[in-house]
Amino acid sequence: MSRPHSEDEPREFLTPEQFVFTPPIDIYETDEGLVLYADLPGVSVGSLELQVQDNKLTLLGKVEPQIPEGALPLHKEYEVGNFLRSFILSGEIVHSEIEAKLANGVLRIFLPKAPKAEPRRIQVNTG
Amino acid sequence: MPIFRWEQSWNPLRDLEREVDRLIQGVEFTVQGIRMPRQYPAVNIFELEHEFLITAELPGMQVQDLELTIANGVLTLKGHRDSPVVDNQDIPEERFRRRERTFGEWQRSISIPDRISDEHLSAEFNDGVLKIHLPKLEEELPRQIPVSSGE
Repeated sequence: MSRPHSEDEPREFLTPEQFVFTPPIDIYETDEGLVLYADLPGVSVGSLELQVQDNKLTLLGKVEPQIPEGALPLHKEYEVGNFLRSFILSGEIVHSEIEAKLANGVLRIFLPKAPKAEPRRIQVNTG
Repeated sequence: MPIFRWEQSWNPLRDLEREVDRLIQGVEFTVQGIRMPRQYPAVNIFELEHEFLITAELPGMQVQDLELTIANGVLTLKGHRDSPVVDNQDIPEERFRRRERTFGEWQRSISIPDRISDEHLSAEFNDGVLKIHLPKLEEELPRQIPVSSGE
């Protein structure tokens, strides 16, 4: 373990609001719709905001400080911050039926596609 | 990676410096000049009055898939993260529109100070964040030394 060499690091480290990260995501397509996964470590159900406006889906995950106040950082490899990312939804997504689930710091969003209309035969009459 | 900040930045140069630092820290330069990915998971280590605290971000991990062992002053974290499956089958590659998350087995060993009490180690895993508490040995805690006058 190495001690931090910079004097002002601890203070900075204790304010997670400063950082906003773009979380890594996976998106795959099924017959029924799209499934989106996002890694949001430290985000709980209560601190996650999901919003659909027009055709834009925005996710904002707020992360609470992971450590008690007054802790002295000895070694630092990652920063803690909030997560923000937005997506443009295609027109076939049914906004009202979007489902989301958060477990162990991973968000899963299901974006259902509107069922395709059955092909309909159009009768053509002669004039 | 941070894309912007919530508040008005008061020192943009410092932000830039830190960003560059972070990028450089992300790779390890070996003697041959081959760039190796850094160890997973990244950990932060803190010292508190009565304990040391190690934190690591492990999103998507299940508690039962995490293994912590301690031997000869080395703490080993081990686990695996499985990629999502549908009906017990992997999702075919062509179905993915975007793939940024990583999966697989990982292991990391951390040397810990010998002034900790092995028996009282504890760990918690919440919302994909692992916290390992390493209590300090009693002898290490500050002690009051009574001073008596020579009279």
